[in-house]
Parts: sequence; C-alpha cells; structure tokens
Amino acid sequence: MGVQLFYDGIDDPELRTLDGYAKRGGYEMLRKALEMEPGAVLQEMLDSEVRGRGGAGFAMGKKMSFIPGGTMDKYLVCNADESEPGTFKDRELMQKNPHLLIEGMLIAGYAIGANKSFIFIRGEYDHQADVLDAAVAEARAAGYIGDRILGFAHTQDLVVHRGAGAYICGEETALLDALEGKRGNPRLKPPFPAVQGLYRGPTLINNVETLMNAPHIMRMGGKEFARLGTANSTGTKVVSISGCVQRPGNYEVELGVPTRELVYGLAGGPPEGRSIKAWFPGGSSAPVLPGTDEYMDLPYDFDSIAKAGSMLGSGAIIVIDDSISIVDVAVKTAKFYRHESCGKCTPCREGTNWTVKMLERVQSGEATPMDLDIMASVQEQIIGNCLCVLGDAMAMPIGSMIAHFREEFEAHIDAARERNGLGAAIPQVNRGRQGGAYPMREPAGIEPTPAVV
Amino acid sequence: MPRPAEHWVTFTVDGLEVQAPDGVMLVDGAKYGDVEIPVFCYEPKLGQPVGACRMCLVEIEGIPKLQTACSTPVKDGMVVHTQTQRVHDAQRAVVEFLLINHPLDCPVCDKGGECPLQDITYGWGPGTSRFIEPKRHFKKPLELSPLIAIDRERCILCYRCVRFSQELSEDYQLILLERGAHSYVGTFDGHPYVAPFSGNIIELCPVGALTSRAYRFRARPWDIEGAGTVAPTDATHCNVELTVRDERVMRVLARDHEGVDDGWLDDRTRFGYQAVHVDERIVQPLVREGTELMPASWEKALGAATAALKKAGARSAALADGETTNEEAYLLQRLFREGLGSGHLASRPHGELPLDAARALADPALQATIPDLEFAHAVLLLECDPIDEAPVLDLRIRKGIRRHHVQLAVASARPTALDAQAASVMRLAPGGAEGLLVALDAALSGDDGNLGGASTAAGSNAQAVRDLAAWLRDAGDDLVIVYGERALRGQGARALLNLAARLELAGRDGAGLLEVPSVPNARGMREAGFAPGHGPGFATLAAAARDARGIAEGLASGELSTVWLNYADPVRFHPDRPLWESALGTAQVVIAVETLLTDTVREYADVVFPGEAYPEKEGTLTNLDGRVQRLRPAIGRPKGATGLPGSGVRPLWQVIADVARDLGLDLRALTGAMASSQLFEAVPFYGGLTLDEIGGRGIRWPELNAEWDAPTEVARLEVPAAGPAAREGALRLGTFRSLWASKDVDVSPALHFLRPRQVAELCPQDAEALGINEGDRVEVSANGTRIRGTAKLRAAVPPGSVFVAEGVTDEPANTLTEPLVEVRRVRERELEPQL
Repeated sequence: MGVQLFYDGIDDPELRTLDGYAKRGGYEMLRKALEMEPGAVLQEMLDSEVRGRGGAGFAMGKKMSFIPGGTMDKYLVCNADESEPGTFKDRELMQKNPHLLIEGMLIAGYAIGANKSFIFIRGEYDHQADVLDAAVAEARAAGYIGDRILGFAHTQDLVVHRGAGAYICGEETALLDALEGKRGNPRLKPPFPAVQGLYRGPTLINNVETLMNAPHIMRMGGKEFARLGTANSTGTKVVSISGCVQRPGNYEVELGVPTRELVYGLAGGPPEGRSIKAWFPGGSSAPVLPGTDEYMDLPYDFDSIAKAGSMLGSGAIIVIDDSISIVDVAVKTAKFYRHESCGKCTPCREGTNWTVKMLERVQSGEATPMDLDIMASVQEQIIGNCLCVLGDAMAMPIGSMIAHFREEFEAHIDAARERNGLGAAIPQVNRGRQGGAYPMREPAGIEPTPAVV
Repeated sequence: MPRPAEHWVTFTVDGLEVQAPDGVMLVDGAKYGDVEIPVFCYEPKLGQPVGACRMCLVEIEGIPKLQTACSTPVKDGMVVHTQTQRVHDAQRAVVEFLLINHPLDCPVCDKGGECPLQDITYGWGPGTSRFIEPKRHFKKPLELSPLIAIDRERCILCYRCVRFSQELSEDYQLILLERGAHSYVGTFDGHPYVAPFSGNIIELCPVGALTSRAYRFRARPWDIEGAGTVAPTDATHCNVELTVRDERVMRVLARDHEGVDDGWLDDRTRFGYQAVHVDERIVQPLVREGTELMPASWEKALGAATAALKKAGARSAALADGETTNEEAYLLQRLFREGLGSGHLASRPHGELPLDAARALADPALQATIPDLEFAHAVLLLECDPIDEAPVLDLRIRKGIRRHHVQLAVASARPTALDAQAASVMRLAPGGAEGLLVALDAALSGDDGNLGGASTAAGSNAQAVRDLAAWLRDAGDDLVIVYGERALRGQGARALLNLAARLELAGRDGAGLLEVPSVPNARGMREAGFAPGHGPGFATLAAAARDARGIAEGLASGELSTVWLNYADPVRFHPDRPLWESALGTAQVVIAVETLLTDTVREYADVVFPGEAYPEKEGTLTNLDGRVQRLRPAIGRPKGATGLPGSGVRPLWQVIADVARDLGLDLRALTGAMASSQLFEAVPFYGGLTLDEIGGRGIRWPELNAEWDAPTEVARLEVPAAGPAAREGALRLGTFRSLWASKDVDVSPALHFLRPRQVAELCPQDAEALGINEGDRVEVSANGTRIRGTAKLRAAVPPGSVFVAEGVTDEPANTLTEPLVEVRRVRERELEPQL
C-alpha cells in the first residue's frame, strides 16, 4: 500500500468539518506558507516535481512559475469538472476532505499572488458542491479565506461555482469561458491561461488532486516529497479503477507500482473465469492497452505508460474483460465524444461524427474491413489538428482499439455480414494516394446514400 | 490609442526569405512572399482569430505540432513550411471533413464560381471523399431575415457571421446553437436577423450558406461583371462594387477601403440598388400640362425650363441634395450666378453658416480622418447618431473602442446607438447642442458667467458641463469631435471653433473635427460653391443670398418665382413642411431633377428632368472627411419610351449645360471630364487634382497641403436663449432622421419592410404621467397640427422630451413647427378601422 497522503483517515466523517480537519493539523501548512516568502513556497512546489493530476500531467510548480509577477489581478481556478468517464477520484476527495482542497488553493494562491480563486465544480456533483460550500463558509468564518488571512498581508477570496454540465468545460480554456458566463468553448492557445486567462488576467488552473498535494508538499518539504513515487512521477496517486474488476473503487498508491498490483491486487482482477482483454490506463481518452502480461507488468507512472503508447491521464483504469466486444467499447467511447464535442473546430466536430457513423455500420454489419482503414486514417487526421484535445481524446482510444484489436473488428464484420446475408466483403481495391482506402461505392445490398435530398 | 509604429521582421516561408510587418499573422505575412495559406474562419476585419476551421495548419520549425497560421504572429527568424507532406495531409483532412456534411450542390448554388470552399477544395483538397454515410439535413433554405436566406446544410460553421454580429456590429443577434455535429447558426428563438449591417454576413460567408434574397438565382458569376464606384447614400461615400448583368445592377458588394468604409456596408447601401430598376423610375422628361405631368420631349422640357428661368432671372433659386455630384453643383451655381444673376443656392436644411465659420471649419489643419476614429485617444460624439446618418462610422467607432481602447463621450439630445459603449453620456434638450458648445467653451476658458446660462440652454447643468470639459481636456492628445450639422445652428459653429482652439486640435495628426452632414454630398457641394454665402472654394461674394428657409419664404411670398430642385425633396426632408408646401405651391415654375416619381415631384413639379441614378453617374463626390472620389458609370442610362438614342435619361452636366446654352451662357462642359477639370481649377484647394489621380481610391484634399487663412482668434459668445421648458401637458419636440427614411427604401422591394413608421419616443416617466404604454398609438400635436405614431419607451430619452422621425411620408413630422407639443394616447374608438 505504501504511503497514504490522502487516504490516511479519509473515512473519518469529522474530517469534512473544520474542527475535524484542524485536529489532524489542518491549516497549519497555510500558516507555515504565509510565514514564508511566496517565492520560497513556489520553490517547494518546484522541488516536489509533482505533475498535474487532471490529465495532461504538466508539472504544477512549472505551471505556477509561468504566472507573471506584478500587481495585476491574478486568478487561481481549481478544475473540479471531473467528467472523464472512469474518473471519480476528485469526487471522493472533495466530499470527504474539502478543507484539504481549500488549504491547497490558499497555499497555491499565495505562491502566485492570486487574490481571487474559484472552484469550478461539475454541475452533477451537487452533494460535493454543498460540502465545499459548507467548508468554504467555515473557513471564511475562521479567517482562512478573505482579507488579510490570519493577519498576514495575503488576501484571497474563494468562490465555488457549479458548472452547467458539459465535458468540454473540463478543458481549461472552455472552463474559463464558462466561468465568465459564456458558452463553454475552448479558446485558441496561445495565449495560455497563465498569461491571459480568466477575465484576461494571468490564471493558474489546476486539478483538485494536484492542488490537494500542496499542503502535503509544505509539510514534507518539496525535496522530501519528490522521493515518493519514481524520479519523473513523484508523489502518490489516487487511481480510480472501474469496469470488469471485482473491487472497483479509488485506491491511493505511490506512482510506479506495477499495474498488476493495482488491477489484480487492489481491485481483485476480473471476475472468476474471465481474463482481461484491454484496459484504459488513464480514463476513456487514453489509448487502450491489451491486458497481456507485457502491459500488466508496466509500472504505473507517467513515463512508463507513455512509453507503452498510452497515457496516465487522470489516473483512471477502466478494465475490459473478454466478455465484452471491443466494437461495443469503441462505439460507446466514440458516441460519448461525439456528444461532447463543442463543434467549434472542424476535425473534432466532423471527425467524431463520421467515426461514430462508421462504427455503427461496423456494429450492424454493414461495413467492410476497408472501413477500418478509413477509420484509422480519420483518427490520424484528427490527432494533433484540433483546437483542443477533445478530438484527440476520441481519436487516440479508437485508433488504438483498431490497432490492437483489428482482428476482432474484422471477425465482427464478417460475422455480422454473414448474419445479414451480405456475403464476404470484397477485397479492397483502389487505394488512395495517401494510402487510405477509397470507399467501395455500393457494397451489395446497401442503398447508396443520395448526396442531396 | 495612437497607431502603433510599424516594425518589419524577416522570416522564412517555404525556403523564401520574406519581410512582413511585425505582429501580423502568418497567413497575412506569407502573402508578402506570395505564399497563399488557405483559410475559412480567418478574417482580420473580424478581430481576434478563432482558429476554428483548422484549414491554415502549417509547420513551424521548433514547434512539434502543426500550428494555425491565422493565429500565429510572424516572428523574426521564424521558419515556416506550407508545402510539406504533413501540411498537405492536414489540409486535405480538413477539406475532407468540411465536405462530409456539405451538400455539394454547387451547380445550383449562388456562390458557385465565387466560392472560397470551392476554390480551396480544388487547390488543397483531396479530390475525392471517402464519406458514404448520410449527410446531415436541415430544412432549407430558410429566411434568416427578409433580406438573407440561410442554408444550414452548406454551412461549414466558420463562425464569421456570428463573430460579425457579436463583435463587429455588436447587435448580438446571431449565435451558434446546439453543439458538436448538431451546431447551427441561428438567432434566439428564431427571430429574424434584422440589423442595419446584416447584409455584410452575406459577403463574409465563405460558402453559399448565407445568400442575399434579392440576388438569389438572379445571376451566376460568369454572367456578371463588377464595376467599382462609390455610393452617395450617405456622407461617408462607401466604396462599392456593383454586380452588373445585362445593364442591370444585380447586387452591391463592398469594395474594401480602409480610409472610408473599412469594407463594410449598411443595408441601405447594399440593397437600395433595387431603386435603380423600378417602375417608379423617371426615364424621360415630364412637363405639367394642366394638372397632369405628361411625358415630353427633351426639347420641350428644356424649352419650358429655360423659359421659366429666363423669366425669373434673379428671382430663381436652387436646392440640391441626394445624388448631386460636385460637378453638377459647380455647373448649377455657374448657371444660376452667371446665367441668371441669382445666388439663392442652398443645400443645408438647417440654415447656413457665416462664411468665416464655414471656411474655418473646412481648414485642413482641423480635419480628422475616418481612420482617426479608430486610433484616437478619445472621441466626442456631438448631436449626431452615426447609425442613422453615416452608418459605417458607427462600426468604426465600435472598432476603436473594442480594439484600441478609444474612450467615447456622447452628448446628444436623442439617445444614440453608441451610448452603451460610451464612457460618459450627456443628454441635452432638443436643440440644446448650441448651448452645450457655448457652455463647454465657457468651462474651458473658465468663464463662469456664461457657463450657468449656457448649460441651462443645453438642458444640462454647470457641473456636468465642467466634467465633460475636463474629460475633453484630459482625454489625451488625439481627440476627435464628431458633430452633426444640427449642432452648428446659431453660434454653434463659432463655439465649436473656439473649442477646437482651446483644445489645440489644429494641425495635430490624429485629432480634429469630423462633420456628419445632413446631406450626402454636402461637403462637395459647398466646396464647389453651391451655397448662398460663398463661391467655389469658399470664395467671398459681393452679395449674400437666401438660405433654404429664405428660399422657401421667398417663393411663398412671391419674391422668388422659380426653383430648381436638384434631387432635393424639401417638403419631405426640410423643417417646416407647411412653409415648403406653400412655397412650392405658390412658385410659378418648379423644375425638378429626380430619379423617382416622389410625392413632391408628382404634386409640385412643373418640369421634370429624369435624374441619373448613381450607378449611371459620372463625376466626383467629396465625403465627410474630404476625400474626393469618383463615381463611375456601371450601367447605361435608361432609355425613354421611344427607345431612341437621347430620348431617355441624359447626363445631368449636359442638361445643365444645355439650359445654360439656351440662356446664352457657354459652360464649356462638353464631357463629364471637362466639367470635372473645370471644377478642379475653380476650387483652389482641389488644385492639381485630375480624375486619373483620384483613381479608384480617391484623394483626401486636406492632405494636399492647401494654404488656408482662417481666423485663429477665439470669438466672444453670448449665452443662447434656452428653448421653452417642458411643462404640464407639453413636451419639447425633437426629431431624428432614420437611416431608412429615403426614397430608395420606399421603392426597393427588398427594403420595403424597413420603411420607417412614425414613432413617438418618450421616457417611461413621461409616458406614465400621460398614461401611455409601449406600442400604444399616440398623437403628437401643436396648434391643431397632429401626427400619429407608435409610442416607444426609451429610458435614455431625456424627461420632458419627445422624439419623432423625420422623412416619414404618411405621418410627416415636419408638419409640427412648434418647439412644444402635446402627446396623448389615441383612444380605441379613434383608431382607423383595421382591414
């Protein structure tokens, strides 16, 4: 199990109150930080080398150091719009230990000189928002939030803002737009939020779990903290394990533990008699990896997972066992992203839609194997060409599913065609210049679609 | 904010070293090296790039991902590749994506042949599509407004129209509804998108999704020709390109001119072309026989006009407005002064200025330019509302505020469209601009004696005027004062000159005065000498003559006998309709030059010369910032009923020269160009201009370094008399002229729905006291004269005032001549029965 920074005593119902939190040394690290220079606090964060827990894995300290000095209005925003399928760690952390988040935000706010801070919480997290509201009120009453905190010069306000419910609002710039009262659409980057974010002021946006690390870093010291985990993935990580496992749930581990220990040890592995076919290492937007020993033995940290061709993302493992068709997983995943695409940029808007349509044909048996080629090439056309990463978030898992499980897709197509009486697919001809296949115009028995109705 | 200094950087694109101004986006920078990067959503006129279409992806060395060239500014030493396999793949991918839901109905699409989507697909697309699923379908085409049809299947969701509505015209009507693949452009609740600048989205649309309902299916790009000219619909003289097919104007497009219109057109300029080809058009001379206007030959009409003028001699007068060119104004004043000995020539509906004031206001050192509005530190909008009087200036001021942090102050009686953008707003009493100018002068000079009285006359108070004066003084070096012609009444002109002197605006680049005149070519006509008080180039005259009101009085009393109305409709647009009705009724002969058979022509004209519409005209115009621009004929003049050459509309310079010849005066204008060169010689500060030099972009004569002797001393001013105060049951009357009050709008089928109806704008307090609700029928009356209109409650209308619209034909506001009026709700039983 190793070190438990977050989960040590987290089930104590008193922890969510200020008294319960204070009994465990709450807000002492805030006092300690305020007694230091902001630069020294920032240095601790840099030394900790803690990487963002929201998905991109960007070093928190480095991101903080991008916030310019000066006396302009600066903002700190906590991204609590936890909407990634399979991810539910922030929910538990906020619900059970809200003051840790508040303290983390106050420390981070002090380090960057932000006087206004917001928690943008997913609209569906109604209960958690209530818990946070209560905690913020308590902290405010106790003088931790507001003017001249604890008598020091630092002033910081904190507002809990409930989102209206859109996955895209978890994207940092869309979140800022939504927080400003606009439609949550991603903005063009650069300028990055650190330069021009909320209300065009420098803004630091971090995930809940990332900010919750700040008090621990202050307590342990950045260098000491950095010894947790591996060299490039420091600290502990709360991993949400879901899908075909016997004990789904959140588990806190030091980064770098073998995946097998997480999936088989903590979560109990797949149900009796089944084996793992594939798993998403970091939420539904991470490319899937097969459940073979080679991948199960991977250390669960940022670099190892990236090297294997996927990403740690938000640290949410979704396990798929052999009872589930990969085609169904692909359709489900693609439909989610099609539904959540904001529609602003072309590749994501059109690409997700097209992919779903092709996958539906695969599912219903109206496709040919060459549709898989087209689909794979469409995913390549999306990756890296979008305004934000939502398009990539669909293209990467779908692309990886086709790459790793092409045989299953083809078998599915063959079986479905046979069921539909379509006969075997004609071998593909007429490859395009880019290597992608041109469509076969009229597969037997399918009505051609008129272009204009 | 003053214009930033330009700094050039060197970067490499496709192996070519290119120099471009620092800070421009790569798309524009690459053009300096003749490299084209395809774009859909990028349009620098719309402000910040959005990077939505992803068409402009390029490879930049040192950056791992492809970057959007529309949002990446060029930097020194940047190395860009637009021709690598990676870039080609990305571009092909985007085109393929854009086309998967596009109907590809190019053969029946209006945009086909001039469509950026077509061009880019040919240039950068993959050539074929691999998409075989059903496309997305919408009901189509739908009316986005009576002017614009929307085809949502063709839409590629580039955001241009939405950004125009949200960030340019700031009418906030167009939005993107739904999300993802279901997104579509629309308005809240499906309301029609009616706004003064709505037509611009048709031109912005890079596909055939937004089409002009007036142009739909009228022509294909290979049937048409483009003809550049300028539109004399308002005093900014927007540059337009007329789409001509078979000698008919089919469409009006913007001809981007940064110094004039910034590439935007208002809907009146865009759709008003329909008035060129309507049944109401006068295509041959008319002469009144008995009570009827009958078609006549040119000989007969010219003979009748010449006889009348000869008989009237010095008792003749002329009024000009509308499409009158500089040349026509110049020739007309020669005809009247030299041929008839009459100097009664007027174009200002609200009275003339003393010559020294007129001269001083035209001083090149005091002139601001239209682009100055964008880069000034501060702009004062004085007694005018650009949206109605010079629409594209409204967009220019908004642009300055949004992009360059220009500070705006508004001082006007009627609330303006720019109030919401203004840093400070001062409401005046109707007609209070003179008082305000005198009060500002007093406040700036520290003359507390005049300040109180003048502030009261302005309908404000001393403190508010002091605050505005301080604001003007501290606003920054580059201050532009945009004033309406009405502000110059009484001592207004002198007070404004004092203000300019006290604020030291003269001779400063980026600062100065900008007049919004009441008449489209007001500036050009005055400079050509068409004014009672001065000759061409503000030359001093021996004897002063009558202004517009004087002409009306002279005609009514019989002191004048004949009047020449050059595109002028004083009954409709000048103050005091009863006086003008009596004047034109009493006049022995009314000679009218007009394009359309208006009520005034039908009722009062005795001899009618068919007027050229502006697409048929040749000549020059001078816009409100002094830019002399050419009108160039785009289509032939209409033929007469007989179809014989010369039977129809003739050039007006020729008509004037023919009349002069018959009066024994040789004007030596055998061609339009001769008339122009005469004008350029006669007006000293146009000196040296030639038509070739003016070319397609025009020349601002204030930049020609003309010598100017204008009085620099500050004039002493008196406290103007305050207008009567509102009292129980009587409100002060103010008027405004709507953008849509014009003869073109009346007859253009497309614009007809915008014809203004009479309104009575009241503040809610007054309305409550009078028992009037929004939308009620109300009667505005004084001395037994009454007009009816619809009550419109506006919180920003100053209490005690009511505003009615000028130029409305069925309930004319200029029948009311008293400063105070009664307003009451029309009871139900008094309403006309509704059919």
